[in-house]
Amino acid sequence: MTAGASISSNLGRLARRPEAGSLVGLIVIYIFFAILGGQVFLGAPGWSSWLNMAAEVGTIALPVGLLMIAGELDISVGSVLPASSLTVAILSGRWGLPIYIGIAGGLGVGLAVGLFNGLLVTRTRIPSLILTIGSMFGVMGLTLGFTIWIAGSTGVFIVPDPLTKTLLGSALGGMFQVGIFWWAGFVVVIYGLLHLSTWGNWIFALGGDKESARNAGIPTQKLTIQLYMLSGFAAAFVGVTQVITFGSAQVAAGSSFIFNSIMCVVIGGVILTGGAGSVIGIVLGTMTFAIVNQGIFFSGLDPNFGSIIIGALLLTAVLSNDTFRAMALSYVAKKK
Amino acid sequence: MNMINAFLRRPAAASVLSLIIVLAFYVLIGGVDLGRLAGAASWVNFAANLGIVALPVGLLMIAGEIDISIGAMIPAGSITTAILSGYYGLPIGVGMAGALALGVLVGLVNGLLAVRTTVPTLIITLGTLVGMQGVVLSAAVLLTGNASVALTSPDWAKFAFGHLIAGSYQVIIVWWLILTILFAFVVHYTRYGNWIFAMGGDKISARNAGIPTRGLTIVLFVLSASCAAFVGMCQAIQFNSAQVSGGMGYIFNTIVSIVVGGVLLTGGFGSVSGIFFGALTFAIVSQGIYFTNIDRNWSNLIIGVMLLIAVAMNEAFRRRALAYSPRKRKAA
Repeated sequence: MTAGASISSNLGRLARRPEAGSLVGLIVIYIFFAILGGQVFLGAPGWSSWLNMAAEVGTIALPVGLLMIAGELDISVGSVLPASSLTVAILSGRWGLPIYIGIAGGLGVGLAVGLFNGLLVTRTRIPSLILTIGSMFGVMGLTLGFTIWIAGSTGVFIVPDPLTKTLLGSALGGMFQVGIFWWAGFVVVIYGLLHLSTWGNWIFALGGDKESARNAGIPTQKLTIQLYMLSGFAAAFVGVTQVITFGSAQVAAGSSFIFNSIMCVVIGGVILTGGAGSVIGIVLGTMTFAIVNQGIFFSGLDPNFGSIIIGALLLTAVLSNDTFRAMALSYVAKKK
Repeated sequence: MNMINAFLRRPAAASVLSLIIVLAFYVLIGGVDLGRLAGAASWVNFAANLGIVALPVGLLMIAGEIDISIGAMIPAGSITTAILSGYYGLPIGVGMAGALALGVLVGLVNGLLAVRTTVPTLIITLGTLVGMQGVVLSAAVLLTGNASVALTSPDWAKFAFGHLIAGSYQVIIVWWLILTILFAFVVHYTRYGNWIFAMGGDKISARNAGIPTRGLTIVLFVLSASCAAFVGMCQAIQFNSAQVSGGMGYIFNTIVSIVVGGVLLTGGFGSVSGIFFGALTFAIVSQGIYFTNIDRNWSNLIIGVMLLIAVAMNEAFRRRALAYSPRKRKAA
């Protein structure tokens, strides 16, 4: 093989990687808003505003992305988030139990909803979209009903102790929320799980062809349940950090995370058809999404314009994914 | 017994049963006065607005696709009518045509993307949902300088699309009934309906059998986007101003009422009467709770539980329906 051919084949391989499109999108979007937003957007205020948002939605987008790689969806994250916030606020704020019990309770709610979703998805043949819409309504109703019943209002307050506040709800320099570091931690862990462990291979196999995966000896049912518990846990974790940060929990929070997390994942190059995607892609997609969402406020454009950009980005990502996928598949065929 | 069996094999069975269960639950546990509930307009109005969108989206789900961009198309129809006829003072006919044309356009985009790519329609329509939300709101702000636009419509338009029958029933209920009958006729008595079921059952075989699956998919997307725009248009005429928000709630409400109505997202199974009863049931659950002595905060829980029960019933009934045909063949 000549040097030229090897370079072009390297380039070809790079363009065929699932996250290539997301990286290009991120760079274009950042430059666009850097030109419009100027110094303020390029400085700490700009970075902190979009990183804070990216951390919240990104923590949920990671496991939702894993689910989508496995060919499933989780809509219930939108109601797990406030459910967990309110569990913390009621247990530790209203009833005055130690904060770690409250946090354990909040995370427990997420794991329980995840387990419920996972069991339903694996025990029935009903699409996970429908099942998790059902559990979303269910959890929403339970949250609202119990909160009104116990606390008598739709908002519950909590005053966290300094240590908890520092770990889960503080902001570095008054701008960069500690959630950003948690997100970074999750990214590293999930990256290891998806790309370096057998467990990750199983997820890709599951999304590629569920029947074959099971026949190959992969515990597909257990894996699906674990993935749902992971997404429940992540949504609950964001709920916990929110309640510690703001000192109060609201029933109505969270529904925006449903579509936002899916959009981050799709912009990041994961196709719902399953079997393809990467953690790097999801992270890039999340950052792009957050930059558009927050950058719009620095740009002087009408904020609603942001939605148009996100819609366009989403469709571009989807269409280029489609093309990339065709390219990737045709590449393998040629190699043979 | 035979009649019961035949009923249980129909796709609408689950929705009729859900309706009965919900009513029984509200009467026995909630202490509802059925006479008062039947006479109330709130849930019928709610059902009509929801039901008009649920009809075409339900057909899409029978065909194995989904359209969530309706969440943006309802306010889009509303704002387009208000901008054209309210802000620019064009005749109301132009405003209405504009709203429906926008529906057709967005439906075309959805449909073309759906047939030209392998991307799931949930993702495609998520893109158009977010995009249209931005387009609609920034168009309103750019053109009129305001996010809410007033509209005064002439008497005939008010009468046809936005007046209250007997003081409390929105005229859109009549449109819902007309559209339901129209859809029922086309789906269950013409070949186009058979095509939709064939497509949802197995798209490749349907195409090989000569069904124009691509054209049909595009038509279904155009229908759903323009029905949503129609609902938005009626709301604008009814309330004399564009309803900018409130579309998002329709996304999940529509899907839930369709599934409760006996349609499986996996495609190939469902009925128009089922979708009709599904919307009715959903409306009774979410609005009827105000007539019970159950705390209304639990209504979402009831919706969630109802959805999961309905889904389980659908599965059971479908198995019944599928198990039935081979036996019949043996007898013949």
